[in-house]
Amino acid sequence: MDQHAVPAPDAAWLRAPCGLLIASSSGLIERVNDTFCNWLGYRRDELEGRERFVDLMPMGARLFHLTHWLPLLQMQGSIAEVQLDLVHRDGHRVPMLLNALRREADGSFTDEIGAMVATDRKKYERELINARQRAETAEAGQRGLNEALAREDRRKDEFIATLAHELRNPLAPFANVLEVLRQRPDDAALWHWGQDVLQRQLDQLTHLVDDLLEVSRISQGKLELRREVLDLAPLLTNVAESVTPATAAAGQTLSTVLPERTLLVDGDRTRLTQIVCNLLTNASKFTPEGGAVTLSAKVDAGCAVIEVADTGAGIPPEHLERIFDMFSQLTPPLERSTGGLGIGLALVKGLTELHGGAVSARSAGLGHGSVFQVRLPLAEPAGAAASPAEPAGQVAAPRRQGWRLLVIDDNVDAAETLVMALELLGHTVRSAHTGSAGLAAMEQFRPDCALVDIGLPDIDGYELARRTRAAPWSTGIAMIAVTGWGQETDKQAAAQAGFDAHFTKPIDFNRLDAAIGEMLGR
Amino acid sequence: MTLQQKHNITVLGAGPAIIFAHGFGCDQNMWRYMVPAFTGSHTVILYDLLGSGKSDLSAYDRSRYGTLHGHADDLLQIVREVAQGPVTVVGHSVSATIALLATNRAPELFSSQVMVGPSACYINDPEDGYRGGFTRADIEDLLDTMESNYLGWSSAMAPQIMGAPDRPDLREELTNSFCRTDPEIAKHFARVTFLSDHRADLAQSRLPTLILQCTDDFVAPVEVGEYIHRAIPGSEYVLIENTGHCPHLSAPDASVNAIRRFVGGRA
Repeated sequence: MDQHAVPAPDAAWLRAPCGLLIASSSGLIERVNDTFCNWLGYRRDELEGRERFVDLMPMGARLFHLTHWLPLLQMQGSIAEVQLDLVHRDGHRVPMLLNALRREADGSFTDEIGAMVATDRKKYERELINARQRAETAEAGQRGLNEALAREDRRKDEFIATLAHELRNPLAPFANVLEVLRQRPDDAALWHWGQDVLQRQLDQLTHLVDDLLEVSRISQGKLELRREVLDLAPLLTNVAESVTPATAAAGQTLSTVLPERTLLVDGDRTRLTQIVCNLLTNASKFTPEGGAVTLSAKVDAGCAVIEVADTGAGIPPEHLERIFDMFSQLTPPLERSTGGLGIGLALVKGLTELHGGAVSARSAGLGHGSVFQVRLPLAEPAGAAASPAEPAGQVAAPRRQGWRLLVIDDNVDAAETLVMALELLGHTVRSAHTGSAGLAAMEQFRPDCALVDIGLPDIDGYELARRTRAAPWSTGIAMIAVTGWGQETDKQAAAQAGFDAHFTKPIDFNRLDAAIGEMLGR
Repeated sequence: MTLQQKHNITVLGAGPAIIFAHGFGCDQNMWRYMVPAFTGSHTVILYDLLGSGKSDLSAYDRSRYGTLHGHADDLLQIVREVAQGPVTVVGHSVSATIALLATNRAPELFSSQVMVGPSACYINDPEDGYRGGFTRADIEDLLDTMESNYLGWSSAMAPQIMGAPDRPDLREELTNSFCRTDPEIAKHFARVTFLSDHRADLAQSRLPTLILQCTDDFVAPVEVGEYIHRAIPGSEYVLIENTGHCPHLSAPDASVNAIRRFVGGRA
């Protein structure tokens, strides 16, 4: 290398594009270059022999210098890329990136320090740190959300497992009855017995599914109350009477304790009945033979308070809060003897809250019975006694008038059993199992009324209805959509497609007969 | 994980036990210039405070180590499991306070304590005229400085090759990282250390105590050393000619001599 091409060391050192300084073992600045001085607003003679390097630091940097910088320099002889603020003569801070090297000679040492201004780098790194903190905060939030979702998901899984179990329960008696009837087809007594069993199981299934749908409607805000000011006392008496046969069959006593005065509330008669009926059925279900169920009502703090107490299984304290949740269940399905999903209680809670009331449960623990309480706000007494008599029961006697009916359903068993039942009711019935076959039958058979399943394999029920309604011959045909979905949206979709009515499976034959008569105006 | 792994415990030499506890910032390597002077006569126990050096960072529990008592519990556990007979504990800086809490709690385990650059409270207390040397804003500034060095943590704190051909031992040291630890733990420990106030614990001490005070220590000024000397009944006080907070690094001989005289005088 050509020595002469290199600038004089001193001048180069002084004008180097980085700050340079040399400090003695006491920390005193012995030499400093112009670059460093310019950055911090000092003259060289103001620093050299006068100030210690550490004197140029703010407090935080001084602490860091003592606790990190010096020990490392002492142990390693060098240190690199440390970021410290140094203080400009006028007081403002200058972020610096620093390297240092300790040179030892003759038992003494000097520290050589190199400095670069790092203002932009510090801003940039601050941004990174802030971004990282934001990311961590967001991640923590996301984690919380995921955990909540996973928890919810687990509860739904448990719920579905229980639901499957509940739905399977009635299947065994169905199968058993069928087997017995296959073996003894001509035994009339067995037929009656089988009918009763199937009817009971069907009722249970229907009840379960109805509850599910209603809870779902409440949670979606789709259930509306038909409110009127009514007296709770007779309503409670009626419910108790309707449940008495079941409690008697279970070997339990059911007693009622009602006040003399009227308990006026602004409520939906049907829904209030449902609330109390559910609580009583629930109490009976969890109470052993010989136990007692008590229905009572009183006034407390502007509320009508209904209580259902039992001497049954009781509820462990840790479950009291969750017992009204949709997906709650006290024990895994296999350990349960009495079934029940807690849907009934979720329904009680939802219906009570729709009435502006509150439900609660209390129990002295397992084996000590439970008390369920419903509080409803008392209504202002209406000017006129507003308790119309129950509308007379409207049981439609089947009118065996002999309609021409067309059943369209891709479930062949469902279609043919419906055909059979309708024929027994005196109608003339045809069936089809696809949409296109249905459409053809519609044109050829020209029924008074068509019962159309929506989920058909080729064209769905809505399309079938639209095509039928587009044909000139369809004017005299009443069309009823028959689906498993009883939601309001399903009914609207059916109406838009041209259906005259919507029925939820399983079909209530009394209602069907009445509805056809109404639609056809006969 | 064993206790040895959890605290990276090193045991050297044989004889009466002496345990060294490092201060805020680095790890047990801080004692390297003093340890050889004791291994001939003592069983020397070195360890890393939990959250520092090669300790088990995953065991750092912010509530347990939210006060210095958590570290004092660790010291007692190590002394019980590792040491034979009463122990001399040498604590630097915050570990002088940690050792004080431990020896107050179980004095029967210890024969004496040496406090190197101690401070019972780093924050000034204008109400009773105590001058620890710092304000809360200063400590926040330190935390900010630590934050600034976070991104460059590995490169800033791990040594870099900068020449120094006259230091053949540097190569080995370059792979060490005495002051490196998880930045969040370091900041938490800094907060716990510098915001602690254990002045009231000083007078509880009944153990023979030596205070090693540096003549020029910004972190633990002479005024603070004298305060501690007055507060601990019967304590000995030795002033060491030294600039900085680490006499065990920059004045190891004077530090060793003072400790040997103190321990020897008691033997």
